[in-house]
Amino acid sequence: MFAVMKKEFKSYLLTPIGYIFIGLFLLMFSIFFYLSVFSSRVVNFEYLFYNGATILTFVTPVLTMRMFAEERRNGTEQLLLTSPRSITSVVLGKFFAAAIIMLITEAFTLMYYAILRYFGKPSILVAGTTLLGFFLLSLAYISFGMFASSITENQIVASVLTIGVFIAMWFLPDFNQIFSIFSLIYKFDNFPNGLINISEIVTFVSFTILFILLTIIILQRRKSIK
Amino acid sequence: MIQVKNVTKKYGDFYAVRNINFEIKDGEIVGFLGRNGAGKSTTMNMITGFIEPTEGEIIVGGYNIDANPKKVKRQIGYMPEGTPLYADLTVKEFVSYMAELKLIPRKERKEAVKKAIESTGLEKVQNNLTKSLSRGYKQRVSMAGAIVGNPQILILDEPTVGLDPKQVIEIRELIKSFGKNHTVLISSHILSEINQICEKVIVIDKGEIVAVDTPEHLEAGATETTILHITVDDINNVFETLKDEITEITELTLQKTNEDNSKEYEIKTNVKTDIRKIISKTCAEKDITILEMRKEEASLEDAFIKLVEDRPEYSQKEVKKMQYEKEIEEIREEERIRKEEKANRKQAKKEEKARKEANKEMKKEAKQAKQKEQENKKEKGGEA
Repeated sequence: MFAVMKKEFKSYLLTPIGYIFIGLFLLMFSIFFYLSVFSSRVVNFEYLFYNGATILTFVTPVLTMRMFAEERRNGTEQLLLTSPRSITSVVLGKFFAAAIIMLITEAFTLMYYAILRYFGKPSILVAGTTLLGFFLLSLAYISFGMFASSITENQIVASVLTIGVFIAMWFLPDFNQIFSIFSLIYKFDNFPNGLINISEIVTFVSFTILFILLTIIILQRRKSIK
Repeated sequence: MIQVKNVTKKYGDFYAVRNINFEIKDGEIVGFLGRNGAGKSTTMNMITGFIEPTEGEIIVGGYNIDANPKKVKRQIGYMPEGTPLYADLTVKEFVSYMAELKLIPRKERKEAVKKAIESTGLEKVQNNLTKSLSRGYKQRVSMAGAIVGNPQILILDEPTVGLDPKQVIEIRELIKSFGKNHTVLISSHILSEINQICEKVIVIDKGEIVAVDTPEHLEAGATETTILHITVDDINNVFETLKDEITEITELTLQKTNEDNSKEYEIKTNVKTDIRKIISKTCAEKDITILEMRKEEASLEDAFIKLVEDRPEYSQKEVKKMQYEKEIEEIREEERIRKEEKANRKQAKKEEKARKEANKEMKKEAKQAKQKEQENKKEKGGEA
């Protein structure tokens, strides 16, 4: 798993992908920060992450679309899958590499905390729960993005599918409350209020595990239908 | 050792590979020969565990790939078709990554990478990105990825395709040098290549194995006739009488008369025995000087064409049509059986009815007879 993770992480930093993801996220985050400072004059570090979740919905595919789609298109999938490494370790390696990039991005958002700290007294604990919730949400998003990348060799298709499903999960509860169980972004709502709800953590973690497993199954299944 | 037993790979109704069997012993260099789309890559992908066969089993070094994929994959160095590489890695990084993927222990990794780079002649470009390399070098990098860690078995899918002649020779030499202490399976549709490198050839066509033999045997089996080209200095003009004297000769034709009056003939025989000795002896007796005599060798190409051409060529459409016709035939057969049964049932019913009617008739007749009898009795009684 570490071999794949190391290589994937390196690839994120050797190609513009990693920088584009981090840059795009921080740029949009800064715009929201700026807007809330100048429009409402009230800035709350935690509430910025509601915007963060919206940004994440659109930028996650930058990180995930190439994961398996590119390997498949270039044929390097053959190198991976004919090596003695198991499919599980390959999938986990790729997942954790993306998770590390996400963690780095999140670490960068601490600079907004530092700015606010300079002017006021934002709660470190609430900031902590927010960052935890946001990280869990991003893991769930990455796992779905990875799954989308594993079912196609076209990166555009993978990213459109990822964004489409995220948007559907976001707006479906407006039609019927039943859909709110599938809505990850709604599950995130309580974290910036300093609340850690077990059921929400379980939802994020199980969603993440589900799509990691589905990716493994897809790759395994393709061996027999390929 | 690689054993492929009754392996079939099916995509829907289409057979990519159908019931193939072969064995590759340790240390052999085996060529996998076939036209494009014959099933070479599919078979190689199954041996390397990239895809699973629909039926059958593959055993590599005593392990079944289905049950022990890890143990099998550790023994194999695979160079896939089209030399896929990670464009954003340097040559050294790529080979190191392959070494890591192949579970080579950290301590041995550096040495293994160095050795693989050296033996493929990549020292000069080891710090270049793979995407910046020429086709020939990319092929070498792919090869380095396959040989790193010294696996016992090397599987090379079309390793020389798209290379210039010089690069082809270099790669070929490289493969030959690995063949000294590895088992090598190499696929190609270039016959001269197989002929030069391999000790054994497996010919595959339309997903089926049509021959497994040495290149020499395949060549020998290609033609039934032997052709001799002979140039003679024949002052007395008697060479053509040879046809009557040597019974084995079926055809003797003059091809060309040279400026120095020497003549070039082509001789065909029906038998495989070499008649060159008899010809020289007869020529000596007739005072004919042989300037040149050459036996035309059948090439592997001839053998291949013969093996492959003898087989009926069906397009997918034709195969579908055949399947369709077969199905129609089956349906018709069922229909016929059903009709027959129906007719039988009808007949049986008819017979039953006839039997019943006959019974009725008999009863009626019996009744009538009885009635008549009674009437007769009555009449007799009246008379009395």
